[in-house]
Amino acid sequence: MDVSLQQQLIADLLVESFEGLDRYDHELLSIESDTAGPDTLNVIFRVIHTIKGTAGCLGLSHIQRVAHTGENLLDLLRGGGIHATPDIIGALLKLSDALRSMLRTLEASGSEGDADHSTLIDLLDRLQEPLGEVEPVTAPQSASPVAKEEPIRAPARAMPAMSSGEAYGFFDDEPASVAPALEMVRAPVVEMAPTSAAPATSDVAHNPDQPVRSAAEDSAIRVDVAHLDRLMNLVGELVLARNQILQKASLGQDTTLLSAAQRLNVITTELQEGVMKTRMQPIGNVWARFPRIVRDVAIDLGKKVRLFMEGKDTELDRTIIEAIKDPLIHIVRNAIDHGIESPEKRLAAGKAEEGALVLRAFHEGGQVIIEIADDGAGIHAEKVRARAVRDGRITPDQAARMSDRDAFALIFLPGLSTAEKITNVSGRGVGMDVVKTNIERIGGSIELRSEMRVGTTLRIKIPLTLAIIPALIVTAGGERFAIPQVSLVELVHIDGSESGHGIESLYGAPVFRLRERLLPLAMLDRELGLVPATEGESADRKDSNLIVLQADGKQFGLVVDDINDTQEIVVKPLSKLFRTLNCYAGATIMGDGQVALILDVLGLAQRASVLSETEKHAGASSTTAAVIREKLLLVEGGTGSKLAIPLRVVDRLEEFERSSIEYSAGRQVVQYRGGVLPLVPLSQLVPSVGEVGNTTDSVHVVVYSTGGRSIGLVVGQVSDIVEEESGSRGEPDGTGLLGTAIIQGKVVDLFDPVGLHSVAS
Amino acid sequence: MAKTIMTVDDALTMRKVISFTLKGAGYDVVEAQDGVAALGALRSKPVDAIISDVNMPNMDGLELTRQLRQIPAFSRTPIILLTTESDPEIKNRGRAAGATGWIVKPFQPDQLLAVMSRVLPA
Repeated sequence: MDVSLQQQLIADLLVESFEGLDRYDHELLSIESDTAGPDTLNVIFRVIHTIKGTAGCLGLSHIQRVAHTGENLLDLLRGGGIHATPDIIGALLKLSDALRSMLRTLEASGSEGDADHSTLIDLLDRLQEPLGEVEPVTAPQSASPVAKEEPIRAPARAMPAMSSGEAYGFFDDEPASVAPALEMVRAPVVEMAPTSAAPATSDVAHNPDQPVRSAAEDSAIRVDVAHLDRLMNLVGELVLARNQILQKASLGQDTTLLSAAQRLNVITTELQEGVMKTRMQPIGNVWARFPRIVRDVAIDLGKKVRLFMEGKDTELDRTIIEAIKDPLIHIVRNAIDHGIESPEKRLAAGKAEEGALVLRAFHEGGQVIIEIADDGAGIHAEKVRARAVRDGRITPDQAARMSDRDAFALIFLPGLSTAEKITNVSGRGVGMDVVKTNIERIGGSIELRSEMRVGTTLRIKIPLTLAIIPALIVTAGGERFAIPQVSLVELVHIDGSESGHGIESLYGAPVFRLRERLLPLAMLDRELGLVPATEGESADRKDSNLIVLQADGKQFGLVVDDINDTQEIVVKPLSKLFRTLNCYAGATIMGDGQVALILDVLGLAQRASVLSETEKHAGASSTTAAVIREKLLLVEGGTGSKLAIPLRVVDRLEEFERSSIEYSAGRQVVQYRGGVLPLVPLSQLVPSVGEVGNTTDSVHVVVYSTGGRSIGLVVGQVSDIVEEESGSRGEPDGTGLLGTAIIQGKVVDLFDPVGLHSVAS
Repeated sequence: MAKTIMTVDDALTMRKVISFTLKGAGYDVVEAQDGVAALGALRSKPVDAIISDVNMPNMDGLELTRQLRQIPAFSRTPIILLTTESDPEIKNRGRAAGATGWIVKPFQPDQLLAVMSRVLPA
C-alpha cells in the first residue's frame, strides 16, 4: 500500500475510532447507571471489534493487541459468561483511555508509540476468569437471557479443531463433524428471529433509542469539513453577488431581468439554508463525552451525580459546537465541584443522595439555548457580595442594595473567578469570566440563576451560525457600518429640537435619559476618529439616531448619523493585521459592492469606556431611587404641555381613524373590540393642556378602565413611559388632577383617573 | 469485464482497505455499510461476490447471508464472511447460514486476494 493511501486510511481510522470510543464510554456508563438498552453490550463490543480489525489491517499491532484483549472480555460479557462488575466497567473504561492515547499518539506522530499497556492487558485477561459467586451488580438485561446458550458456547469455544489458527478457509473444505453442534445453534437463531438473544444475531434487534440514527446513517456520507467551509464561503460570495444584482435590477426597467433576479434571490436563500444545514451537528456530539467526565469528576470528589441530557439532537453550526465545548466542560465540572453537595450533606438536607445534573438544549427564537442545571446547594448571594466587597469590586453600600441576581452576575467578573474559593473547594483552571468571554465571542450570552438549597441553573444563548448574521446597517462620518442584531436593544430617534435636552453631560461624559435611566453614550464617528473628537458639542447636532446596544450585560447608546436598513450580511474575517483593532468583528460586502466594517459591540464599548460608566451611573441612579416609584405614562395635549397618567390604570394605547369616530347622544364614541368606547378629550378634563387640533387623520387614544367601564382618553401625543422620581399627591378635587410628580427634572401634573370617571359618567 | 465484488462493513476504514486491495487487483468494488444497505443495493444491481463483516448494526452478515440465499439470483454467489479468531463458533453459524468461506480479521491483502481468486476463478 502506498504511503499516502496508508495515511488516508489511518486518518479515517482515527475519526472512526474516536467517535466509536465516545459511544463506547457512553454505553458503558449506561450499564453502570442501570440504563443500558438491550443492544448496549453489542454496541460496546462492536466498537472494540472494529478498532481491532481495522488497526490490524493497517499494521497497527499495538492497538490491535490491546483491543483484542478487551474484545475477549467483552465477548464473554455479552455472552453472559461473566457479569459487569464495577471492576470490569472500570477496566473497560481504562481500555478506552488506553486506546485513545494510542490513537492520539498515532495522530500526532504517525506511529502507535510504544507505551506499555501490559498492566491493562493483564487486568483485562485476569477479569476474564469467571469469579464464581460474583454478585451480578449491574448486568444489563440483555446479558442474562443468553445464559441458556451456555451449553452450546462452551463446547464450541473448546473446539480448536475449528481451525482458529488459519487466516481463511472455505466451508466446503471442512469436516462435517461440526454438524450436530451446528443444528443446535441454528435452531434458536432461525426461530427466534430478530429478538434472538444469540450474541451474533442480536445485532438485528433494534435498540429503541437507535432507530432514527440508524436510518440517518443509511443515507449519510462523510464529508471533509474543509469542503463544507469552502462551500459556505462560495455561498457567501453568491449572496453578495445576489444582493448586487437585486439592487441593480430593481433600479432598471427591465422586467425580465427583475423576475430572473427574484428567482435568483429565492434560490440563493434556499441554497444558503441548505449549505448551512450541512454544517449543522447535533449537540449530542459534544455531550457524548460528558457522562464520562461527570463520572470521573464525581468519583474524584466523592460525590454521587446522575446526568440527564435532554435535546441531544438540537443542531448547531459546527464552528459553534467547537467554541462551546470547553466552556460547557468547565461549567459541568463547576456544577459538580461547587454545586452538588456531598452525599452526606444531601441526605442531611433531605435530598436524594445522588445529585442530578441536567443538560438541556433547545431552539428558541432563532437561537439555541443550552441549560446546565444542578439540584445542589445553590449560590450564597451574601457570600458573593461579601467577597466582592472585600476585593474592592463594589462598595458595601452597593452590596447592600444589590439584588441577588446582580450579585450572581459578579461571578462572571474577571478576578472574581474566586467563586471557587467562596464555596471552599479548590479552584480548577479558568474562571467563569473566561467562560463568559468565550460565549460572548460567538455572539452568545450567559445568565445564572440560583436558589439556596434548590440548585443553580446556567443558561447559555447562542446563535445558530456565525457565517451569515442579521445586522443593522448604519452610517457615521460618511462610512457604513454593520451592527450585529443580537446586540441591538432598541433604536431611538432624537429630533433636533429635542436633542438639546435629550443628550446631557455628566462629569463630562455624554449621557442620554431614556425612560428615566441614564444611558452612557458613544459617538460612533468620534470613537472611530472619522471626525475630530473635539469638533462640536452633541447639542449642536440637528437630528441624531441613538442605537441602544447591549454588551457584557450592560446597555449603552451609540449615536450615528443615519440608520439605513437591516440585512443578512456575510461575515468576512479581517486580515491578521487588523486583529488588534477590537472594535471590528469583521467586514462584509454590501449590495453595491462597497465594503462595510462590522462593529464588535463589546470591543467598541470598551474602547469608548462606556461600560464601567454604566455601573457608576446605575449606582448613582439607584441611590436616588425614591421609596415609591410609580410608572407613569406621559401624554401631551394640544399645546405640547405634558401630563402624567399612572400606568397601572392604562389598558392599551390605540390610534383610531378620525373618520371612524361616531356620535352617540352628543358624545364621541368609536366601535372598539365588539363594543362602544366613549371618547373623552383630555382638554375637556384638564383645560390647561390645550385642545387637540383635528387636522390629523387619526387620533391617539389612551384606553383605560374604571368602575368596570372602558374609556378612551383622546390625547395629542403619547410621549414616554417614565418612573416618577418624587412627587406629592393631593386629594381628588374634581379638577382632574391628583397632584404633581417630578419627571426628568420637571414638574408634571399628575392625572386623576377617579376624577375622570366622575366626569365621564 | 472486471468482476464486481461488494464489501459490506460498518467500519468505513475497513471498507476502504478491502476496496483498495481489490481494486488494485483489477476488481470493481461496491460498498455497503450493513446488511440492509447491501440487500437494497443488490436488488438493483447484482455482483459477482460478496465480502461481508459478521458483526454489524441493523442486519449482520449472517442474516444477510441467509436472506441472500433465499433469493434465487444469489443462491450460488460466493459470500465470504469476515470473522475474528476469538469467535470460532461464528464460523459454524456462517456455514449454517450458507456462506462460502471466511477470512479472519485482520488479514493481509494477499490473503484476501487468494480467497477471491479461489471463489472467482478467472
